[in-house]
Parts: sequence; C-alpha cells; structure tokens
Amino acid sequence: MSIMIDIILAVLAIYLALQCLFAPRLTQTVFLFFAFGLALALAWVRLGAVDVAITEAAIASGFLGVLFLDALRDFSLAPPLKWDNLEVVHSSLATKNPKSLFLPRLALMLGLGLFLLIALEAVWKIPEGGGLTAAAEALLPESGVEHPVTAVLLNFRAYDTWLELGVILLGLLATFAVGGIKIYRKPPVVADDILLRQVILFFTPVLFLFGAFLLYFGKSGPGGAFQAAVLWGAIGILLHLGGRPVFSMIPRWLGQLSLTVGLGFFLILGFFLLAGGATLFEYPPAYAGVLILIIETLAAISIAAALTAIFANLNQMNKEESNQIESTN
Amino acid sequence: MMIKEVITVILLVVGCFFFLAGTLGVLRFPDLFSRLHALTKADNLGLGFIAAGMALHIGSPWAVLKIFSIWFFTLLASSTSCYLIARFQKEKDQARNRKEEG
Repeated sequence: MSIMIDIILAVLAIYLALQCLFAPRLTQTVFLFFAFGLALALAWVRLGAVDVAITEAAIASGFLGVLFLDALRDFSLAPPLKWDNLEVVHSSLATKNPKSLFLPRLALMLGLGLFLLIALEAVWKIPEGGGLTAAAEALLPESGVEHPVTAVLLNFRAYDTWLELGVILLGLLATFAVGGIKIYRKPPVVADDILLRQVILFFTPVLFLFGAFLLYFGKSGPGGAFQAAVLWGAIGILLHLGGRPVFSMIPRWLGQLSLTVGLGFFLILGFFLLAGGATLFEYPPAYAGVLILIIETLAAISIAAALTAIFANLNQMNKEESNQIESTN
Repeated sequence: MMIKEVITVILLVVGCFFFLAGTLGVLRFPDLFSRLHALTKADNLGLGFIAAGMALHIGSPWAVLKIFSIWFFTLLASSTSCYLIARFQKEKDQARNRKEEG
C-alpha cells in the first residue's frame, strides 16, 4: 500500500515537472510549479526528511510563489509599449515562442542527462551503513541539541549554514543592484480594505507565534531557523501587501541591523572561537545549546528581514516602473 | 472500535466527495466567480470532513486541536483570498465596462 503511494507521488512529481516545462502559458507554468513544489514536499515527507519538506513547501511554494505571482501581475498589467495591437503584446508576453526554445531545450536535455548520470552514480556508491549518520548520532550529546539535522546544520557543518546566510544577503544585494538603491520609499496609498486589514492583523501574531515555535522546536525535532524565517518573512510580506511596509516604518539603521545580524553574529562568534584557540564554529559543549539557540534566532531574524526586503524591493520597483509607463502613455 | 472506524471512513469518503465536486466545479464552471464559489465552498467543506475523520482516527485531544486549527486557518485564508480575487475581477470588469461606455 505504501509503495503505491510512493509510486503515485513519484509519477505525479515528474508529470508536474514536465507539465510545468511545457505549459504554453506563463500562468499555467507558475501554478504547475506550485503543485510541483507541494508534490515534492510530500515526497520529502515520505522519505522521512520532514525538515526538507517544510523548507521546500515554505520556500519553493510559498516565498517563490509570492515572487512569481508578483511577476505575473506585472506581466498582466504591463500596458502595450510600442505595439498598438494588444493581441500581439499579449501573445508575446504570456506565451512562449517555440522557435526560440530550441537551444534552451538542448541545454536542458544535456544538463538533465548529466544530472541523471551523476544521480545514478551517487545511488550506486551509497556507502554501507548510511555514511556519516552514525558519526553524527554519536556526537549528538556534544552538539547541544537533540535533533540530528539541527546538530549538523548549526554545529557540525555550521560553516555551510553561515555561508547560506551570506547567499541570501547577496540575493538581496542583487535585487538592490538591479533596481538601484532607492530603498523602501512609502508606496502610494492602496485602497484600504477592512477585511484584508483585519485578516492580516489576525494572522500576524499567529504566524509570529508559529515561527517562534518552529524555531525553538528545531532543538528536538523538524524545524529551525529557515522554516521560522519564512513564516516571519510572510508576516513582513503580508504587512507590505496590506499597505504597511515594514522597512519604511522602522528606522533605517534598524532595518540594516536586522538584515545583517545573523551573518554578523556568526562571524563574530567564529572570530572569538578562533581567538580562543578552537577551530571556527567549534562551540564549547557546555554552551552549545544556548549558542545554537541565539544563532538560530538571529539567523531567522536576518533571513526573514532579507526575504521581506527582497519582496518589498521587487514589488516597489515594479510598481514604480508600471507607474512610469502609465504616466508616459 | 468498529463503529469508530466506520464513521472515520464515512467522514473521509464524504470529504473526498466534496473535494471531487469542487474540482469538477473549477474545471466545468463558466466564469471566475462560480469557479471561486466551487473551489472555496466545496473544498473547505471537504477539508472539514477530512479533518473530522482524521481527528476521530487519531483521537488524542492535542492532535484534534491541531487538526481543527489547521482547518480554521485554511478557512480564513481561503475565504479571504477568494474575496480578494473576486474583488480584483469585479474592479477590472467595472473598469472595462466604463471604458466601453465612455
């Protein structure tokens, strides 16, 4: 029975991925991508990797979904620029030109083939006895947490996690670079909708509480900084959409501080550990639990701030562009 | 024990039926508003029945509370997004009508 579910999930994921690639309209592609993300999350649950499943559902379907929808809206609202005929613009924007897809398809095929080969080799070479699982389990008491995934992410391989924080910050810098640094201007007043406002006000504390729960629960089960950060980032995005852009309401130094505090604290901690004669991120076992909790909290704040800022910046940018187009017409 | 399982199965089947009906509605109904109606009403009811079935199946009070808070939050989120989509479409229609008249 359970193998049936696994097979259905596997077929569904591959089918949705193919549909997503070959769907004729961008709208369909986006929604198929959501469905694909959810199928993938379910597959991760079936594989027993609940941490990955939560992150997949939250980042791929949640955060990327918001960005995709925002981009779609810009496509659909973009007024015709030079063409008088709306049909031409519509077909050129919302459908893909099959002729121009030959090279991407070729590259995709080659990449996919290569990836399949690598995956096959990886499956072939799975080490006996589960690789490093036993080593990680053996050192678990020293890591300061009870959940092996958190121990690996925040203690044994903290270097990777630290660099991931940097990658997210780089992503934010990239969106700034594309749009120029005209950060967090107050948006034009959106139509105040009492229902939307009440729902956002209701969801804000709930999301915050649930994020904090995931953050703390990461010590002993699936959860942790990234999952919590997406929920907190969702608060920021909701508030932004509801006409309360967080970053233009708090002072600028506070925004910058919350963006960099995760990366910065990690760095300073690593520096002091190095100065004390240990290796980078080798926490003293007695304080490991507390240190990990502090790092996770600060990292979650930073990631949430970065996600909110990326969305706010892109949303803002697009709004300004479409306003400019409208005013020139 | 037996009766509990039977009721669980009945609840789950009823839930699946409403999901199926909602999906059919989305695929078959002609315009956005009726599709929204099918999606949000039928699916929320289906989710409610499935939540009830699972709550009965698991049986521990905490799990029941969690399952029903999932249902409650989904209810809130889906009805709000339904309202927002419908409002967006209505404003678009009104703008188009005004353009055609003027």
